[in-house]
Amino acid sequence: MKIRSIILFFPVILVIGLSLVVMQPAASAAPPQAAGVSAAKAVTAPVAAGSTGAIAIPDTTLAINSAKPMSERVVHYEIDAKYDAVKHIVDATEVLTYHNLTGQALDHFPFHLYQNAFQQKATWVNEAKVMGSRDMDYAKWEDKDYGSEEIRNLEVVGQGDLTAQLHYIAPDDGNKDDKTVIELHVPKPIAPGEYVQFKIAFQTKFPETQARSGYRRDFVLGGQWFPKVGVWWHGAWNCHQYHNTTEFFADFGVYDVKLTLPQYEVVGASGVKVNEVSNPDSTKTLTYHGDDIHDFAWTASPRYKVKDDGVFQGQMGPVKMQILMQPAHWSQVEQHEKILRESLDHFERWYGPYPYKAITLVDPEPDSAAGGMEYPTFITGFTSWFMPKGMHVPELVVEHEFGHQYWYGMVATNEFEDAWMDEGINSYSEVKVLDSILGQQTSVINLAGATLSERALQRSSYIGVADVDPIAQNAYDYYNSNSYAGITYGKTASVLLTLESIIGEDTMAKAMQVYFMKYRFTHPTKEDFLKTIEEVSGRDLRWYFNQSVYGTQVLDYKVLRIESLPVNWYAEKKSAGKDDKNTVYRSYVWLQRKEDFVMPVVVEIKFENGETIREHWDGVSRWTRLGPYEKKTKIMSTEIDPDHRILIDRNDFNNSYTAEVNGKPAVKVTNYWQFMTQWLGQALAWWVV
Amino acid sequence: MAGKQGLLRSGWSMVGRNKRYLVWFYLLNLTLAEYGSSAFRNQAHGILDHSLQADRLLHGFDIGVFADMLARPEFGPTMASTMPAIYFAVLFFVATALFLPGVLQGYASTYRLPREDFFRASGRNLWRFIRLMIVAGIVMGIVAGALFGIRSALLKAAGESTNELLPFFVSMASLLVIFLVMSGIRIWFDLAQTDVVLSDQRAVRKSIRAGFRHMRRDLGRLLASYVVTTIVAAIVLVAGLWVWMKFVPPASVIGAFFVSQLTLLLLLIPRFWQRGAAVTYYLQNMVEPIAVVESFTSVAVVAPVPPGVPPETQAS
Repeated sequence: MKIRSIILFFPVILVIGLSLVVMQPAASAAPPQAAGVSAAKAVTAPVAAGSTGAIAIPDTTLAINSAKPMSERVVHYEIDAKYDAVKHIVDATEVLTYHNLTGQALDHFPFHLYQNAFQQKATWVNEAKVMGSRDMDYAKWEDKDYGSEEIRNLEVVGQGDLTAQLHYIAPDDGNKDDKTVIELHVPKPIAPGEYVQFKIAFQTKFPETQARSGYRRDFVLGGQWFPKVGVWWHGAWNCHQYHNTTEFFADFGVYDVKLTLPQYEVVGASGVKVNEVSNPDSTKTLTYHGDDIHDFAWTASPRYKVKDDGVFQGQMGPVKMQILMQPAHWSQVEQHEKILRESLDHFERWYGPYPYKAITLVDPEPDSAAGGMEYPTFITGFTSWFMPKGMHVPELVVEHEFGHQYWYGMVATNEFEDAWMDEGINSYSEVKVLDSILGQQTSVINLAGATLSERALQRSSYIGVADVDPIAQNAYDYYNSNSYAGITYGKTASVLLTLESIIGEDTMAKAMQVYFMKYRFTHPTKEDFLKTIEEVSGRDLRWYFNQSVYGTQVLDYKVLRIESLPVNWYAEKKSAGKDDKNTVYRSYVWLQRKEDFVMPVVVEIKFENGETIREHWDGVSRWTRLGPYEKKTKIMSTEIDPDHRILIDRNDFNNSYTAEVNGKPAVKVTNYWQFMTQWLGQALAWWVV
Repeated sequence: MAGKQGLLRSGWSMVGRNKRYLVWFYLLNLTLAEYGSSAFRNQAHGILDHSLQADRLLHGFDIGVFADMLARPEFGPTMASTMPAIYFAVLFFVATALFLPGVLQGYASTYRLPREDFFRASGRNLWRFIRLMIVAGIVMGIVAGALFGIRSALLKAAGESTNELLPFFVSMASLLVIFLVMSGIRIWFDLAQTDVVLSDQRAVRKSIRAGFRHMRRDLGRLLASYVVTTIVAAIVLVAGLWVWMKFVPPASVIGAFFVSQLTLLLLLIPRFWQRGAAVTYYLQNMVEPIAVVESFTSVAVVAPVPPGVPPETQAS
């Protein structure tokens, strides 16, 4: 609540404060470094009181196609981890260098211990039981489903061993049994601009895959596996507990990670591999380096088949595409590379350059709950050995997860509080990109005459929960997991697609590009995004955002009635049955706003002689009557939103009304139903009689 | 009476000679399904008839629009459309159970079975069929439960394999085994039903024993005929759906109705074919001693003389 109050009441002050911090002298640029060089050139800076030597964040550019760092680097993680592939346990040491850019002295530091979420009394599990979860039935918990992350030892350089000072906190719900956030008070505060270095020994036990992290058989996905410091954001530490419906939030920096694991393992990871050494004990040590990223994930399996000869020529330089496939899916490797390449191409053209030198696409272990996840420069897809050609599930998942390289990876929004800004904005991009690549009506399914579009999928997930939650709220405050998904993904995508009908598709595209370029490698807020759209479009869109983003208003416009009556009805009655070509009709259209969302709409009225009229209605009143239209013809049909641009309308069927009954569609779909009914009867009679 | 012809060949000719049963069962199936889908039809008409959005269901099949329709509150709860469909499907199953004895009687007859004899056979064997169905249900339930339990355990074990295709192959293999075992049980009770009707056997336990004995004795031959007819049914279904998708234009409501109904009509044939094969087997192997009974309706019906029952009481 404290954090929320600060965010609500003091945003301006805090933004100003943060800006002052950001305006400190930037690190000097370093020249590009050759691959294979892991040593980091450091920028000297003031060191925390009591420190024994020069501590700094490296300004390396080994993993990016840029001569100088692209983000304001706050952290440097140096991790030396040994993975026990039998016990699924990581024993590691972590040296975390933190640069205090907060503008104030820091006397305490919170750390995420995400893997502790997978314990019976943890908030994550409590919420999963109440809200529902896509991962597993929590009534059937077994030992293997538990995860843990334990700090064995913590030393602050210059301040000694502070392990005893660590204590768990639960800033969101006060759950004393939740161990996903641990806090450390340092005896000597870290002054503004200073560096502090934490030396941590920790052990992480992975659960059988939960929330796209953990092991399955001999596969492992190492995500959220090491102690991560929180983010100083808007004048306070932002370090939420791990919730069932939340993801993550972290500062940009540099990662140098050594992974020691069995030699038979095939490994993929964030960043770029800079070294590989075979050890005498049948293990190998791989060293990875990442620049301007805010997380590090890795995967290992003995069975991955690797394709790593693909290169995408990006705007800033070549991007190596490494694809790790399951053997049974190897026939789909080209399909995966194609959609990855096309996604890169679209995002670069539409939003901005992809600056990293590599992207790793992982096809995770089947039946592992590890599919469809994003980490910096590292994503997991989802497919099956049987995937008909017209089922675009692999494309959908790969495109979506790649999109997160932009909306999360580089534009690093707070996924605890503004999940819609990564998942929702990314879902909007997903619709646009898949429409472009696979066709607007066929972007998800194009099989045996049946079609499904990505925009319909997003809209469908929204309309079922349209009046439950607003978009703008903490991800862990949703009514349930369906509402979280429907609003965060579906509603946001639908709201932004509908916004195109207000400001124009080109303006929206421009706004997205400006937003990306302006806020990449930062942590923007929801208002940063909304104001960018207003600035680019030059329009005040508060009326729309207040209803669609901050509110739960529901939009449903209806063609209430159409009527065409002879002007001279008395005379027409007397001459009934005669040729009526010269009969003049007076026609009206009644429209209704059924719900509380107010939005101007376009209405198209078609007449029997082929004539078409388009009208505008501000949609403010509960109903309106259009007309009269005096013509020698009657109204054939009326349609609200004839171009189908308003995706947030909860009921598309009542958006139009035809004078004549057309029963064929109902007969057609009923025929399917009847076929199944007959077949069911026959099947029952076959086996039971 | 059938000679020592192949089961499939003789069964097929029985179906061919008695096409009217096929047509009547099809019409019953169609009529009941019409009622079963009426709730769905009314709800669909209510939403689609005046909406331009419905065009996306007519000219193609937009799954999103279809899902939208199902999700509309005015369409009603899913149960409102599924339950009538299930009720009428069950009604067809009950009707099949009711009239099947007449069909078996007709198949065994060398002449066209008069309508009154058809219904008489149906009525006379109703309670016997109910008892048979109860026993069959218990046997099938126990066996299917055990087999699916084993299958589930096998799948769980296969699921731990690092070979992704293994669960699929285990699934398919176990389904094949279950299909064969259940077909064996189906044969057993098909023979028992045939025995009950054609022997006018009041003690169904005797027919169950006879059916089991003969199923074991000629399992290979009987199972082969049932498997072949089931494969034919699968081919008919797949071919029908393929023709429907491939050649029927999306907006052709009449074309879709014609192809779907033709498929369903053809789908009835394999089961009647199996019944014909069972009757053929009965006539070839289970009738002992054989008595030709002159019915006062002039229909020649072959029926065994139940032990201890005077032949004159066997008249149908």
